[in-house]
Amino acid sequence: MADKGFRSFLDDLDAAGELKRITKPVDCRQLSALGEQADQATMFENIEGYPGWRVATALVSTRKRLAVAMGCTENRIAFEFEAKSARPIDPVTVDSAPCQEVVMEGDDVDLTSIPLPLMHLFDGGPYISGTFAVSKDPEHGSNVGCYRLMYRTPKETGIDLVSPSDMRFYYQRALDKGEPLPIAIAVGVHPLDMLAASYKAPIDTSELALAGGLRGEALEMVKCKTVDLEVPADAELVLEGELLPIGWTADEGPFGEFSQISGDVKWNPIFRIKCITHRKNPIFYMLQMPWENDWLAAPVTEAAGLQALRIASVQPVDIRAPVGSCGYWSLIASIKKRPGEGKNAVAALLSVAEVKFVVVTDDDIDIHDPDELDWAIAFRVQADQDAVILKGARAKHIDPSVKSWLLGKGGLPTTAKLGIDATIPEGVPKILYRRIKNYGRDRIKLEDFE
Amino acid sequence: MSPLATKIKTALETEAQQFHDVVDDHMDVPWQDFLRAWGELREIDILKRDDEGAYVIEAS
Repeated sequence: MADKGFRSFLDDLDAAGELKRITKPVDCRQLSALGEQADQATMFENIEGYPGWRVATALVSTRKRLAVAMGCTENRIAFEFEAKSARPIDPVTVDSAPCQEVVMEGDDVDLTSIPLPLMHLFDGGPYISGTFAVSKDPEHGSNVGCYRLMYRTPKETGIDLVSPSDMRFYYQRALDKGEPLPIAIAVGVHPLDMLAASYKAPIDTSELALAGGLRGEALEMVKCKTVDLEVPADAELVLEGELLPIGWTADEGPFGEFSQISGDVKWNPIFRIKCITHRKNPIFYMLQMPWENDWLAAPVTEAAGLQALRIASVQPVDIRAPVGSCGYWSLIASIKKRPGEGKNAVAALLSVAEVKFVVVTDDDIDIHDPDELDWAIAFRVQADQDAVILKGARAKHIDPSVKSWLLGKGGLPTTAKLGIDATIPEGVPKILYRRIKNYGRDRIKLEDFE
Repeated sequence: MSPLATKIKTALETEAQQFHDVVDDHMDVPWQDFLRAWGELREIDILKRDDEGAYVIEAS
């Protein structure tokens, strides 16, 4: 069995002093509020009405816990992600798996037997928020992504398939033929697998091999019981079934989005479940919004930014996707600049997914220090020369400023993007940026006079 | 239809409610029983949504 399973990660958090265990009985309606207040990841050991189940949450809702998952320091996460993702390892198929220790098929399928949490005040129902969703297309092969599921009936959920994604593409192709799309949802996998699943890889890139690269070992997969798909063998819970060929017609949401906004009702397909499998004494993973989602998004966005800069032949020094922009909508980077590369870097970073705000600085700026960043923008930027605006680029529905409510069901919004080149302008002598330094600061020490 | 599903149906025929309002009115009910009753209403496809995402059922 692989070393980097969900349970081994819980052990790692425990060893790092980052896991709290709650043993008192907790109702599913209390889980989210309790998990949000804890300053550690939390394991609920005693779920009222659900003997044998446990619930884990907030496992990577800080950069520190994400660093535990990555096995590196906090400021190396993006670079580790980039390096490891360049060394993919293909998955292997195993014959038996912990995730299939208990099997419910046909009439026995009952989502209410799982401790589904009610997470946020305005949610349209209980949600399964932390998913590793597998689908397959006859031409493009397997794909993995992260999609939320809203409880509808013991055998059905809604699924948010509004935004552009590979699964949406696969679903549209199946829908065009009037066919359902078989999918499998794994819950309770290692955060590295979640990172791979959320990576905006080209459609023919294997997220499973990426997960292997991040783990440093092949991801072990097992065949599903009722659909022609494979899922991570060490998952805690698996839902097998199909997306019904009904298009974007079923109400889904609101859900507390990773944008920190409650969101609104969306129109989405329905996921009908044929089979539920899980481990003995299973742990349900409740991905805590927004921070856990945002910290999972950040390294993916940062690594995509690094890749875009390298393709543009620009040398990155540091990069961050601020958690205030949900690790998704903004990128700030410092570069070792040659003439003209400030603009090249801006253009490259604005090409990343739905990133809509970019700042690029020279490598003398600490981009993690907001005062340094403000200083660079104040003194290295001329708005008529250093601001770049792109119109009509791809957007996400959950950004209210794109006015997606004006679109029809299944419609896709667009957005404008802003980039700021805050590098020293060409033609301005660098000596004009010489920073104040107190005379004698290196040899005269305050403690000698106290 | 179960008595609990009938009770929820009656409430939503009277006024639109957010999901959490429905939950708040049934905190004494085991969560699994509540979800099963909610599922009954979904299965007969009578739950509609208003502009603010609240659930409502047209009186029959």
